Amino acid sequence: MRRIVTALLLLAVAAAPAVAKEKVYGKGVAAHEATPVSTVLAHPDQFVGKTLVVEGTVVGVCAHRGCWLSLASDVEGQTLRVKVEDGVIIFPKEIVGEKVRAEGVFKANRVEDTAKKCDATRDGEPEVQCTTVYELFASGAVCDWK
Amino acid sequence: MNGFRKVCRWLHRELGFFAVGLTLVYAISGIAVNHVHHWDPSHASYVASSRIEPPGDGETEAVAPLVLERLALQEPVKETWRAGRDLLQVFVQDGTIDVNLVTGEVVRRGNEKRPLLYDVNFMHLNKGKAPWTGIADAYAAVLIVLAVSGIFLVKGRKGLVGRGGVLMLLGIVLPVVYAVLARRG
Repeated sequence: MRRIVTALLLLAVAAAPAVAKEKVYGKGVAAHEATPVSTVLAHPDQFVGKTLVVEGTVVGVCAHRGCWLSLASDVEGQTLRVKVEDGVIIFPKEIVGEKVRAEGVFKANRVEDTAKKCDATRDGEPEVQCTTVYELFASGAVCDWK
Repeated sequence: MNGFRKVCRWLHRELGFFAVGLTLVYAISGIAVNHVHHWDPSHASYVASSRIEPPGDGETEAVAPLVLERLALQEPVKETWRAGRDLLQVFVQDGTIDVNLVTGEVVRRGNEKRPLLYDVNFMHLNKGKAPWTGIADAYAAVLIVLAVSGIFLVKGRKGLVGRGGVLMLLGIVLPVVYAVLARRG
C-alpha cells in the first residue's frame, strides 16, 4: 500500500508542468530573421501572401477564445494583429506583456466599414466603402515567458 | 460467472476509490466550462481606477520611469508600451495599467485566477499538455473499466436483466437520440 501511494505521488509530481521559459504554440517558428512590424505596415501590400516572422510585445489578446494577439510594433502606437485558427492555438490571457515571435502568412482582408466582407459584385447598389485590414495569419508562435 | 463477477467487484472497488479525486476534478470543471458562453470559468476580471500626478506627454524614455515611480507598484513590471500620444500602458503579471499621461488617470484592468476552478479547468482542458495527456488517457481508461465492470456487479431483478438493464438502456439512448437530432440540425 505504501509503495502504491509513493508511486502515485511521484507520478503526480512528474506530471506537474515544468516551469518552461519558452512556450511553443502551434507549429512554432522557424529560425528566420524577423521582419520589423513597422516595415511590414509601411508597405503592407508588398508582403501580402508572403510568409513572415514577426516579433514584439503582446499588447492585447482575444478575451474569449485566445484566437488573436495584438503585437506592438517597433514604432510607438503601431500594432499588428496576429490571428490564429480558432481552437487550434489558444493564447492565454496572461500572455499580455510577454515577448512573442510569430510566423504565418500576411493577409489583407477587405472589409466594409460595417465590418462585413466586401462583395465584389453589387449591381445597382451604391459603391461600398471598404477598408483593408492587414493581419498575420499565424501557424505558430513562440513566447519567452518572463 | 461468479469468478468473473468477483473480478468485476474487485476492479470496481479499487478503481472506484482511485477515481474519486479525478472524477470530482472533471465533473466540477465540466459544469464550469459548460457555461463558458456566460462567463470565463477560469478568470474573474476586474477594473480599478486611481490617479497619479500627470507626467506629461513627453518622450517615452523620460515619461515611462516617472510613471513607474508614481505608480509605486509592489509587483514586477513585464513591459511598458506607448500606445498613443496620451497613453502609456504598463503590463504586470495579472493585468494591464492604462495611464493617461495628461490627466494622470490610471485604469487597471486585470484577470484573477479563480481559486480551485482555474486549476481544475487547467487539468480538464489539458492546458499543460505533455505528461497530463497520458494521465488523462489513463483516467479515461479507468472510467471505461468502471462503466463495464459496473454492468455485472448486481445479479437478479436489480441487475442487467432487470431494472439495471432498463436504466443502462436509457443512459445509452439519451446521447444517441441527441446525436441523431443534432446531426439533422
